[in-house]
Formats: sequence, structure tokens, C-alpha cells
Amino acid sequence: MTPEGGIRAQDVRRSFGPVRAVADVDLVAVPGRVTALIGPNGSGKTTLLLMLAGLLTPDAGTISVAGADPVTESYAARSRTGWMPDVFGTWDSLTAREVLTTVGAAYRLDAAAATARAAELLELVHLSDLADQPAHVLSRGQKQRLGMARALVHDPEVLLLDEPASGLDPRSRVDLRVLVRQLAAQGKTVLVSSHVLTELDEMADDAVFLSGGRTVATRSVADGDLPREWRLTALDPAALRRWLEESGQAYRSEDDGPAAIVELADDAAAAALLRSAVGAGVDVSSLAPAGGVLEQAYLALEEERR
Amino acid sequence: MSVDVQTTAPRPTAPGRGTWSLTWHGLRTVTVLELRQRVRSTRWKTALVVWFLVVGLITLLTTGAFSILADDPYNDEPFGGIVYSIVVGFVLFLGLLVAPTLSSGAINGDRNAGTLATLQVTLLTPAEIVLGKLAASWIAALAFLVASIPFLAWALAGGGVSGLALLTTVLMLAVVLGVVCAIGLGFSALVGKTSGSAVLTYLTVGGITAVLPIVFGLLAPVTTTMDEVRVWDVEAGYSWAETEAPECEWHTREIGVWHSERTWWLLAPNPFVVVADAQPLTDEPETLLDDGNMLAALQYGVRYARTGPAAEQDWCSDMVGTSGQSPVEEVVVTDQLVWPWGLGFDLLLGAAGVVVAVNRLRVPTERLSRGTRVA
Repeated sequence: MTPEGGIRAQDVRRSFGPVRAVADVDLVAVPGRVTALIGPNGSGKTTLLLMLAGLLTPDAGTISVAGADPVTESYAARSRTGWMPDVFGTWDSLTAREVLTTVGAAYRLDAAAATARAAELLELVHLSDLADQPAHVLSRGQKQRLGMARALVHDPEVLLLDEPASGLDPRSRVDLRVLVRQLAAQGKTVLVSSHVLTELDEMADDAVFLSGGRTVATRSVADGDLPREWRLTALDPAALRRWLEESGQAYRSEDDGPAAIVELADDAAAAALLRSAVGAGVDVSSLAPAGGVLEQAYLALEEERR
Repeated sequence: MSVDVQTTAPRPTAPGRGTWSLTWHGLRTVTVLELRQRVRSTRWKTALVVWFLVVGLITLLTTGAFSILADDPYNDEPFGGIVYSIVVGFVLFLGLLVAPTLSSGAINGDRNAGTLATLQVTLLTPAEIVLGKLAASWIAALAFLVASIPFLAWALAGGGVSGLALLTTVLMLAVVLGVVCAIGLGFSALVGKTSGSAVLTYLTVGGITAVLPIVFGLLAPVTTTMDEVRVWDVEAGYSWAETEAPECEWHTREIGVWHSERTWWLLAPNPFVVVADAQPLTDEPETLLDDGNMLAALQYGVRYARTGPAAEQDWCSDMVGTSGQSPVEEVVVTDQLVWPWGLGFDLLLGAAGVVVAVNRLRVPTERLSRGTRVA
């Protein structure tokens, strides 16, 4: 690998006619880590991924994927990039195994290597027993898993996953998470876009927030404790509120429930709060993070935008 | 989940390949992929069966009709020529109808189904994708041609046509169908909707098949000029009331002459002309015309158009019954070939289709046609 692995995108822009799909994106995804790409619908996630996958030229800006420029060194970049599109079109009359051997051949593996690789990947995404069924009998979630396997055929250094979790059942989501973590542990760069933020929480190390085609924030998810909101409930909500006010702890009431939401600096602060509440005789029934880190960050950004 | 992900897949170390770089491996991958999909759809098999039955029926009917004539004791001429030319014409006509449907949805159809980008992100070059698709649609078209060969061979049994003619005809039919596939592929890369590319392909094929010959006809007044022609005519002042036959003598007259040799090339790209002109004739054109061999007639016709008007004309001999002694030489139809020009033009059209398609499949793309997705 070249010293500059991973994904680097700087000042990337792309318009379709009058529509500015990507207005100004900066993004860095580091090898060995999973980076989440988060943004509302129409924020330019898919367009950005198409540019990173080497299918679209950016109007401006520079991109480097696994050390290669997808525009000027398209062949090298494509050989190191695995892309899983959001809409998974498939060759309907081919079997799952044939889809993978065909893609293997398209990545210039010889027949024996492609066959071996296909069997291995079918095992990996739990499609072995459906391997010789035509792809059109697969359910949406199964197709999604086949799409994941397809992106891995040539053992790429960089993985671009566009909404990989959509249509997956809970078991497959867990499998996906484990697989993605495993790939990152092998030193691959993984960029995942998704709407399911709680899931990204458990999967991602870093997060890049897009809005209106711009990078609006970059956060680290896993490193260190971040200030976040916690949700506090007690058997007697009135007593809880009274105690919170007496102890000078800032809080707000939950919009649609009896709980109080407090912002705490880290886990230690949460433990301290719980201890003093119990000590003061408040019957605390639960104290837990209110939503994931990413969800809170996302909603906070949404707030700012309004 | 315990399977090790990093395994046998070798790291691609091949040097970069350009848009036009072509390997047998890549070409075969795309062709096999396309053919697998085609063969597994039932419509395709049905179409082939229907084709076989229709061509068989036509052969049977024409053979039946002309066998009856051949049984006539006063008419022992071979009927092979007419059956052969009807079957070839029919196969070509049906082929021109079927070939566009085989290729005109190959690229935009995949784009709409979201499977084109899947190939584009791999290490296949655009040329491999396009030529692989072309090969697949051509092979499919050839399957229709192969299904017709028994009937073409059957027509040979009627006599009057050589085996060599069968060979050249089948070869030309194959090339013409390949050209139509290539044109369809070009439009399918150019236009977003499969129906749009099919219509444009039909219009192009219709253009070279029907519109150019019509233009050739409409240009007749333009290419007709008043020329001085030496005419072997009835003697001056002959009144037709006399009992004695008139003498023939040379006159110089200014008459309208159609210079079809200036516009014959408008006929050349026509697929029927290409097929007809390429076949070797075993006999004198007149004999073949008597047999009703329409391919021979077409060949004679275009060569005649290419020959152009003669400098001398005989208006007299037939009238006075002295044709044997006419000093005007009979028109010798040129033996210059017409089909290489027509086929050359058609191949250029096909090549243009391929070039357009390859350029449109280049990644990364700069522009998207309106309403299309890359993925």
C-alpha cells in the first residue's frame, strides 16, 4: 500500500445541471477504522460515494482512494476499491454463485480462484444454501448480503458501503456489524453510509456529517467520553424533578414521557449523579444514554440548521 | 463469521488498462454473462421456435407453389432460384426486424436495472464490456440465422443455385446482422430509454433499406440531363405509310439520359443489395432472371444502375426486324462490385455505434444524460 492509504477527499464538488449534489465535501477515512457517512436524504451521500468509487468525475477537488486518484488512475483505484451500491441491481437469471464468479472474472481472477473465492464469500454472508438458486428468488436482505459479498470479491483495501443495512433482519445486521469490524481489524478502510444511526454507533469509529452537499461536522465516536444526554427516570417523577432542582442539576423534561434529560460530561459524571440521587432517597428506575452519540450529534446539527 | 476474509484473492498487480484495451478473458466474461441471461429467459427460446416455424412455413409454401409449376411438362426449369431468393429475402427481412431488439436494450436496459455500474467498477475496460455485449447479441442473431440454414439448403435442392452462393449469402447475412447489432448497441448507450434506442435503430435500418433507394428514385429528374446521343434510328422522312421497310441510319439526337451511375451508391448500403450483389452467379443473368431468381435480378439491377447509360442507342432494329444486324453494341453490365461499397458503409455505421458506446461507458463519467442514474 502507498503511504497515503484510506480515503481522502478535499473540496469535492459535483453538480448535475443546476442541482448542486455535492457542494463542498472534505472527508478523511483512515485504514483500520470504520467511518460513518451521515446525512439526511438528498445530502449528497450517494453522489459522493459514486465519485469515490470512480464512476463519476468531480467538478472540482481532489480525491485519493487507497493512494490512487479515481479520475487519473482509474484502473488502479478500481482494483483497490469495493463498492456496494444502495440500489442493488442484480443479474436476475444468474445464481448467487454465478454472480460472484462472474464478478471475480471481471476482476481478472482466473476461473479456479474465482470459484474458490465465491464459495468462501457465500459462506461468509450465509448464502451457501441458496448459492445455486437464481438471484431473483433471493429476498431483499439476501440480495443485500450478496451485494456485500460482491464488493469483497477482489479483497479491496477500501470498502464503500451505501446503506448496507437497509432491508436486513436483526440477525443479518449483527452479522454485518461483525463483518465490518472484522474487515476494519484487517486494516481495511471502511466507509459506511446509513440512516440507522444507532447501528452506526456500534459499528463506526469516526463519523462525517453531510448536509446540503457539505461536510458540516466530523466526529470521533469511539475515542474518549463525549458529553452526551442521558435519560433519567424514577418511580416518582415529581420527586425526581424536585431533587434535580434542589441539587442545581440542569435538566429538561422529555417531550413524550416522564423522564428527565440531563447532559453529562462523561460516564463518571453519570455514575456520580446516580449515586447522589440514590443517596438523596430518589427511587431511580433507570439511567441510560438518550439515543446514540451519532443520533444526538445528528439531531444537534439538524437543530442548528433550522 | 469465523471465516477469514483475507484469503486467496490475489492482489491485482496488472498495469493500468486503457479504455480500448481488450483481453480475451474480459471479452469472454461479458459475453458469457450476457448469453447466460439471454438463454435462461424463456422468451428467447419461444422466439427461436416461432422463427423456425415461420421460415419453414414460408419455404414450404413457396416450394409447394413452384413445384406445381415445375410439374408442368412444358416448364422444366429449375425452381430453386425463386425459392432460394424468396427464403433469403424473408430471412433477411425478419433478421432486420429481430436484430435491433437483441442489442438496442443491452446498455440502457442494464443501466435502468442497476447492473451496468456493477460491471463498470470492475477491472473490465469499456471496450471489453461493449464488444462482449456486441458478441453476445451477434451470437443470438446468428442463432436465428442458423435456424434458417436448413431451409436455405433445401432451396438449393431445387437446382439453379450453387453451394458457393449459399456460403456467400449466409456470410453476408451474418455480417449485416452484426452491423445492425452494433448500431443498436450505439443507440442503447446514447439514449436513456430502451424503447427510444429501439426506435432509433429501426429508423437507421429503415433509412438504409428503404429511404436511400427512394432518394435514389427521387433524384432521377436531377440526374437526368439532355445529352447528345448517337441513335440508330429509322431513316429521316420515313412516313410509315410505305410498303417498303425503312432503312436504319445513324442520327445524333439530344435526349434526356438518366445518369444512374452518379447515384448508384445510394443503393449500395441496402442490406438486400449487399447480400444479392455478393453472391456469385452461376449462369447468364438472363437465364437466372427467367428462373425468377430475384437475388440475381437485384444484382443485375444495381450493376446496371452503376453502368449508366450507353453512348449509342438502337431505336430501329427491333422495329424493322433486323436486330441481328444492329451496329449498336449490346449494353454490357459492369462487373465492378457494388457490395464492397455498401458493406463498407454499413461497417462504418456499426463501428460508429461501437465507438459511441465505448466512449459512453468510460468511467468516471463527466455527464449523465437526463434522467439516468449511474448506479
